Amino acid sequence: MIFILSFAGAAALALALRLYFVLPIFSRRQRSTVDARKRKGKAVRNATQRMLCIVLGSGGHTAEMTRLLSGVDLDRYSRRLYIVGESDLISLDQIGVLESKRDGEKEEYFVGRVPRSRRVGQPWLTTPMSVLRCFRQVAWLMYRHLPDAVLCNGPGNCVVVCVVATIIRVLGVKRIPIIYVESFARVKTLSLSGKIMYLLADRFIVQWPDLLRQYPRAEHVPNLV
Amino acid sequence: MSVVYVTVGSTGFDDLVSVVCSRLFLQNLASRRFQQLIVQYGSSEDVFMPPAAESDTFGVEIKSFDYTSCTQRFIDQADLVICHAGTGSILEALHSRKPTIVVVNRGLMDNHQSEIAAELSGRGYLIAADPDGLAEAVASGAYTKLTPYPNADPQPIGEILDEETMV
Repeated sequence: MIFILSFAGAAALALALRLYFVLPIFSRRQRSTVDARKRKGKAVRNATQRMLCIVLGSGGHTAEMTRLLSGVDLDRYSRRLYIVGESDLISLDQIGVLESKRDGEKEEYFVGRVPRSRRVGQPWLTTPMSVLRCFRQVAWLMYRHLPDAVLCNGPGNCVVVCVVATIIRVLGVKRIPIIYVESFARVKTLSLSGKIMYLLADRFIVQWPDLLRQYPRAEHVPNLV
Repeated sequence: MSVVYVTVGSTGFDDLVSVVCSRLFLQNLASRRFQQLIVQYGSSEDVFMPPAAESDTFGVEIKSFDYTSCTQRFIDQADLVICHAGTGSILEALHSRKPTIVVVNRGLMDNHQSEIAAELSGRGYLIAADPDGLAEAVASGAYTKLTPYPNADPQPIGEILDEETMV
């Protein structure tokens, strides 16, 4: 009995330590907000075939993400994994528009359509079931592709994607950095996804300065979209 | 021709759609010398009931449809954009540098839409109004004195991404 207890205790301690060292929320690394002018012309060393995971969601989130992506040099992320809600036809269209401008010979992309983790207005009682369904699909996609980074901006599904990315990191399989950009619409309060993502994201970007007071780990980058 | 484009986005917005069909609103449009009103009413088709008689529209020609995949084209040809407070619509209107009146839907549960509308109107980039105050906002002509919205620069996102993947 004592043996089992001490084993469980040791395992819990090991997990706690692992979480402490791995989760970005405990990291003391100083993050300076990027100054575009200062960094211009800085060479990127490993311009390899990095894979970027992009989470798209309904309406406004997708509109913002398309704008954000125009700031990303996709030559450096020549492999892309899009995770989209299965009923979200607008985002599928947007992916088509974006990818049609790219060179399909040298680059590749995958689209993973997953069930929504929670519909707007869905009762909280049935939410765990739908989250679980979503989780299963996302876990499979992420495990198969093991992207080099996740870029997301707030649809409910992104929480599931980032939980999976964090589990992959805690298990020591791969460090998948998470970059979260809170919606342009959030001036003084974070969205629910935002509050959860504050715990998981390596870089937490807000577009309005008032949010910095409450969330000191955030970086304020104005005028992104 | 002077054109007003009204858009409710991907859902519906009954209060806004019924206001733009009202006599007062049309009269104010006419007094500001608008000649055409184009309404994207989304799922609010049932309340889209513009006056049938031409005398009741004050000479304003009315066109309408439920959804479009080329919102940008309609914004580009408009002289005034009236939109719901969804991020997508706001950004499209601001970046096209068109005078914009944003109408906030107070009926939405999680009302961060009024937050962004208030912030942007505080900075003089657009006018924020309630459905009830829309006709008045048009009549005042304040939308002609807005500050142009600065060009967006999404470059830092690419740089942050590069920083993180180089580690």
